[in-house]
Amino acid sequence: MPTSTDLLQGTLDLLILQTLALQPMHGWGITQRIQQVSKDVFQIGQGSLYPALYRLEYKGWIKAEWGNSENNRRAKFYRLTVAGRKQLRSEVETWDRLSSAVGLILGRTVEASR
Amino acid sequence: MIAEFLTRVRFLIFRKRRSELDDELRFHLEQSIAAKVAAGVSASDARRQSVIEFGSIETTREQCDRQRPGWWAGTISQDVRYAVRGILAHRWFSGAIVATLALGIGVNTMVFTLVNAVLLKPVPVPNGDRLVSVMGRNLSGDDQSLAFSYPDFQDYRTQATSFEFFEAVSPEAGVISEAGNPPQQYELNRATAGIFTMLATKAYLGRAFLPSDELPGAAPVVVIGYRVWMERYAGLPSVIGREVHVNGHPATIIGVMPKGFRYPDEVDLWMPLIATADLASRDNRSLRGYAILKPRVTSKMAEAELNGIAGRIANQFPADKGLGMSALTFQQRVNGGPIRIVFLSMLAAVGFVLLIACADVANMMLSRSMNRQREMSIRTALGASRWRIVRQLLIESVFLSTLGGILGLGLAKSGIHWFDLATVAIRPTWILFTMNYTVFGYFAALCILSGLLFGILPALRSSKTNVVDVLKEGTLSVAGHRGTWLSSALIVFQFALTLVLLTGAGIFVRSFLDRLAVNPFIPADQLNVARLHLPDDRYKDKEARIRLFDQLLPRLRSIAGASHAAIASDAPGMGLANEQIELEHVPIANPAERPWISFIAQSPGYFDTIHLQLQQGRDFNETDGASNREAAVLTRVAAARFWPGENPIGRRFRLFDDKNKPGPWTTVIGISANMVQDLQENDHKPLLFLPYRQEGWDNMALVVESAADPLQAMRKTVQSLDGELPLNQPSSLKDTIADQLWFLRVFGEVFLAFALVAMLMASVGIYAVIAHATGSRTREIGVRIALGATRRNILFLVMRRGLWQITCGLALGLVAAFPLTHLMASLPNGSLHSDPSVIFGVALTLASVGVFACWLPARRATGLDPVRAIRYE
Repeated sequence: MPTSTDLLQGTLDLLILQTLALQPMHGWGITQRIQQVSKDVFQIGQGSLYPALYRLEYKGWIKAEWGNSENNRRAKFYRLTVAGRKQLRSEVETWDRLSSAVGLILGRTVEASR
Repeated sequence: MIAEFLTRVRFLIFRKRRSELDDELRFHLEQSIAAKVAAGVSASDARRQSVIEFGSIETTREQCDRQRPGWWAGTISQDVRYAVRGILAHRWFSGAIVATLALGIGVNTMVFTLVNAVLLKPVPVPNGDRLVSVMGRNLSGDDQSLAFSYPDFQDYRTQATSFEFFEAVSPEAGVISEAGNPPQQYELNRATAGIFTMLATKAYLGRAFLPSDELPGAAPVVVIGYRVWMERYAGLPSVIGREVHVNGHPATIIGVMPKGFRYPDEVDLWMPLIATADLASRDNRSLRGYAILKPRVTSKMAEAELNGIAGRIANQFPADKGLGMSALTFQQRVNGGPIRIVFLSMLAAVGFVLLIACADVANMMLSRSMNRQREMSIRTALGASRWRIVRQLLIESVFLSTLGGILGLGLAKSGIHWFDLATVAIRPTWILFTMNYTVFGYFAALCILSGLLFGILPALRSSKTNVVDVLKEGTLSVAGHRGTWLSSALIVFQFALTLVLLTGAGIFVRSFLDRLAVNPFIPADQLNVARLHLPDDRYKDKEARIRLFDQLLPRLRSIAGASHAAIASDAPGMGLANEQIELEHVPIANPAERPWISFIAQSPGYFDTIHLQLQQGRDFNETDGASNREAAVLTRVAAARFWPGENPIGRRFRLFDDKNKPGPWTTVIGISANMVQDLQENDHKPLLFLPYRQEGWDNMALVVESAADPLQAMRKTVQSLDGELPLNQPSSLKDTIADQLWFLRVFGEVFLAFALVAMLMASVGIYAVIAHATGSRTREIGVRIALGATRRNILFLVMRRGLWQITCGLALGLVAAFPLTHLMASLPNGSLHSDPSVIFGVALTLASVGVFACWLPARRATGLDPVRAIRYE
């Protein structure tokens, strides 16, 4: 049990960091973006999103600021910090290594994600 | 990196506001609804679907909270808040617990401070942790404190590599005198010149030794201690350079040592150890060594090296055959043996006191935990885990014990101060009863451990409840059998320990009172004693010494206010001489089988001075003891021992000295009442009195009976005959005897205090438990009274359990106390004897106090009004 959640958690953190790498976003925006880019494969509920955001913020990888949303509502925007950018780079590397290794074991041609 | 760290620290300290998350979640929900509406769902449906999708907000809140680093600290602070609330809610209860623990932890901290100072703490000089005392020992190892010779010292010093410094001293009595200032005797050490450098101490005034001071032919110099400077020279700086006489030889005062510096062993005067022809012999063993070990060298390693050198020396010089060396710390050298045992048993005693205190507190908590079962059940029902409840209860206990400990620290401080004052006269000055980090560490460990110790059982018990049962049962639920059993065991244990402690204290107190009541006929407060030592360079033979005493005696008797005066080798209770005795016509061939006899040499008039009754015959006259007029007086037990059933007057005996040489035949001229001369023995041992002119000793006690203090007049009288003679150890006999008994008095008081504290705790403990049990049976008792139970029935009902516990406790305690009396009687100083009356006396006392403590709540129960009692609760 705990190992699989750890894997999921780690993946979610990576997805959030990658999403925020493009531009600062609020929580709702992040779920929408991930859902859209993953073609509805990942649907992230608030129950896992916000703890993840808090965890990343406590680790100092993202930073939260209150701002105004597109429809002019007060919303909390998250953006990547310098430390977060570094973390993202190293996590992407790890992911690449892992997924190509898994691919090799499963006997797929390594086309990989990029 | 740093920014990341700072962020973490910031969040560790500051929490995020709760509303922030709420706002964020609300925004999320609204966006979700808006998205659904935009996709064509009706507004109310969109809201319903969104809320369902959204899920539990509370879980998210908690999840977010748990992401915070150190979030668990919050729950601890919550527990602490609960604990403080619990403590404040039951103020009297908590107060009783804190007071009990203050006593328990206080006495433990006090005694540990003493033990630390006496047995562990390094000597308070620079590098004191490496300072060792070096002395010779015989090869069997039973005597570790032999002096060694000067040539041996030089060999060890040049060959040993274990030491940074190695110095030696030769102790002797030093009489300092000069014109216009009466002579006074102090403790003198002749020391190698490096002694002060080794101890890293500079002179307070003037200078310490230079290496040139110990060269043969150097001008004689003396360094004086601060106390001598203050007492004898009133602290005048002009003392430096003064010409004085030390033991009759001229010397110049060159320095004053700082206050409190009396190294190595309670020294007042230091002179350089100059290598005289006398010292060059390997037979002349008068030196004690002191050394600073090199870093990382242990005293064991140094000892091994010294013994290797000793073996080589012994091969070369037959005089040193069979001699080894010992290197010990000051604590090992001075406080080994009985002192060590006494201090460790003190630590054991207070350990018992703390155990009793913890048992007491555990019992109180246990009886309360029965009351708190409902509270705990409710908390369990609301989802608190068992671990969480136990943790909270333990935090409460540790909190209580820490409070108690802090109070106890004050108690310990005053106890240490008292002990310091009580022992200041007889302990080495390097023992400082102060706290250091070791003590504080011990103290902190005590606080936490005792909190856990008394907290763990009640906490486990109250957390282990069947929620449904307790909630259904309502307030009348009473402790199950397990709780009762546990608290009974604790009470039994307390009474057993208390009995052991009381027995130990009783033996001390009994021995002390016995010694004080010794020789009741002697008016000890009216007798004044001072010793006089006649140096052999001016009083060369027996005749010269007897001449002085003969001149002195009438002058002492004519001191204004003196009713009697006499000279004796030892004042009553202050020591004695022993020799082997042989009766006329009863020769004993084998010297080893000759009986030993103790004796006192004395002037005429000594019996009147100490009010010892002469029952037969006569006192000595001025000619007794002269050649061919040898005479003796025996005590009654001595007469019965050597001439049972006969009249010993006119019989003769002779004594053998330590070289097995027989003395002259001596005639018995009188029989006195019995007296105790050896306070350690406290028995009417056979005792002989001989005329002082028969022995002609050079060190005698002057004894003057006078209501006013005659010591000044005694000093003047002596110095009118010889201006160079000091009076030593002047004091009233009463004070001197009290000093002799300091060991029994101080430790008697200490152990008695501990035992009384233990008894108080045990009684309060049993009282509290019975009172609580009675309280929770109020209704039952009411019903019984209403149904016609008599006062006696009720008393028995309530007290039965307590009486059982006391009986079991005392029985267990007796089993442990008997070996203790044997242990105490076997202590080497031999002053602690006990008869069974002490044990049964304290057992009886403890039983009565315990029964009284049970009777108090029981009496209240018998007075219950049945109507009210039944409606109780």
